[in-house]
Amino acid sequence: MPSILIQDAGPQTTVQDLGRRGSLRVGIPPSGPMDRDAFLLANRLVGNADDAAGLECTVIGPRVEFADERWVAVTGAVMPVTLNGAAMPRWAAFEVEAGDVLRMGPAASGVRGYLAVSGGIDTPPALGSRATYPRGQLGGLEGRALRKGDCLPLGPASGGAPAEVHEELIPDYTIEPTVRVVLGPQDDRFTKRGIAALFDAPYEMTPQSDRMGARLRGARIEHTRGHDIISDGVALGGIQVVGDGQPIVLLADRQSTGGYTKIGTVCSFDVGRVAQVKPGQRLRFRQVTVVEAHEFLRAYRRELDGAIPFASP
Amino acid sequence: MGIYAEPRFLPCGDLALSVELGDDINREVNASVLALEYLIRQQALGGVTETVPSYRSLLVYYDPVTVGWDELTKSLRELCREARPEVLPPARTVEIPCCYGGDLGFDLDAAARKIGLPADEMARLHASTDYYVYFVGFTPGLPYMTGMPERLEIPRLDQPRTKTPPGSVSIGGIQCCIYSVESPGGFWVLGRTPLRLYDPSAADPILLRAGDHVRFRMISRAEYDAIAAAVAEGTYTPRVERA
Repeated sequence: MPSILIQDAGPQTTVQDLGRRGSLRVGIPPSGPMDRDAFLLANRLVGNADDAAGLECTVIGPRVEFADERWVAVTGAVMPVTLNGAAMPRWAAFEVEAGDVLRMGPAASGVRGYLAVSGGIDTPPALGSRATYPRGQLGGLEGRALRKGDCLPLGPASGGAPAEVHEELIPDYTIEPTVRVVLGPQDDRFTKRGIAALFDAPYEMTPQSDRMGARLRGARIEHTRGHDIISDGVALGGIQVVGDGQPIVLLADRQSTGGYTKIGTVCSFDVGRVAQVKPGQRLRFRQVTVVEAHEFLRAYRRELDGAIPFASP
Repeated sequence: MGIYAEPRFLPCGDLALSVELGDDINREVNASVLALEYLIRQQALGGVTETVPSYRSLLVYYDPVTVGWDELTKSLRELCREARPEVLPPARTVEIPCCYGGDLGFDLDAAARKIGLPADEMARLHASTDYYVYFVGFTPGLPYMTGMPERLEIPRLDQPRTKTPPGSVSIGGIQCCIYSVESPGGFWVLGRTPLRLYDPSAADPILLRAGDHVRFRMISRAEYDAIAAAVAEGTYTPRVERA
């Protein structure tokens, strides 16, 4: 069976696809890539369906050996890419042969890097998805992060072609991002001053952040009357504020429900940008209405669909 | 208190909204939440991609390119009018064998002292009533339940523990829960069930569902071990009745 061999895994490399749908109602998070755009573009570059499984690497990438000819693409965090020691481009598709070794080094900027391989990773799906949920030991390879010596089966490769992402659409992770937020569901539990604090000054990413949530530090967000609510569902990007007045943005492996106030929700198209902010780096929040958010979403999808001009054969 | 005259629609970003049906934790409000979810699924309401029920609200994920806020909330408002408990299929009653006290129910003695009952009487009372599952969440398969005899009401632990083993049958306030994976917790652990509330290796990994009734059956340590062995071999079938 065609496969790739993990010669070195890096600190947290997992198999991900676009995530599970429909399992939040029994407490299982969707998982999937923390930076959906980067993941999806990697798949499109190598001619895969958007939901084909690839690798998500955190801070330091893996070293991977190929057993047959494939097209590959690396996107996301600025991890230097080499093939048999020679530098290779990022955000572009290139071919590899049997025995080739691809390495993704430590991230110079950004946090999560993605590797897509034509044919996709073909580990057995769990609840309709190959996404790894390590806390629940579900999906991916044995429900865990990858280790040295792991062998990942690949689906049949269907050819490929040189392709690259438009240069102006490649994000610069060194700049302080501004992410868009819709107020609610519990913005009525915060004072005017508390809401103003969220949007006025930047917040710093802390090292306690993970795939469940981005824990931020900055101006205190003031409640009107306590931070407990009757537990309710937690949407992707929900900004939970507990007693210390500091925000936590809830991400791909979040708890399905929670008993703390959520002042607002980061828009889906900006969640990936949060996932690329390094500890110590800062980000800003900007308020938008639901109607504006939906317009931004349409524009964002058009932009993503036009991100890879098709190369002539 | 209770069900609102009109549902509240609370935005949760660009892809979700929360439909809030009442202002407290009660079974009538919760049954309406579950009925609303049931109707949405049954009718495959356009643009809805996923739903998450909780005590008094339903989180509805949607694709705004397929259905806008106004259209979706209009449909949901109409469905809310039909969302009565009667539309739900008959509830299941699931038997959960539980070994109380000892090293599995390591808080039973302290909890019994706290509320001034003999430990065996506390266990007997805990297993004497049916529980209602409002929803399943926080961690995979964890049921949020009430139904305990009032005599067992107890404040949560002063110091939450960092690790509670899966299967721990626990109480805090008027609530009862069963830990589904090893997790931190502030509930008193009265016993443990050998059943897996979450089994990632199973085709259907989740034992309990929102709206289920749960009946605990007191078992000995020997029976606990026997059932645990059968569960590990995949030969144990939980007892489930339909009303």
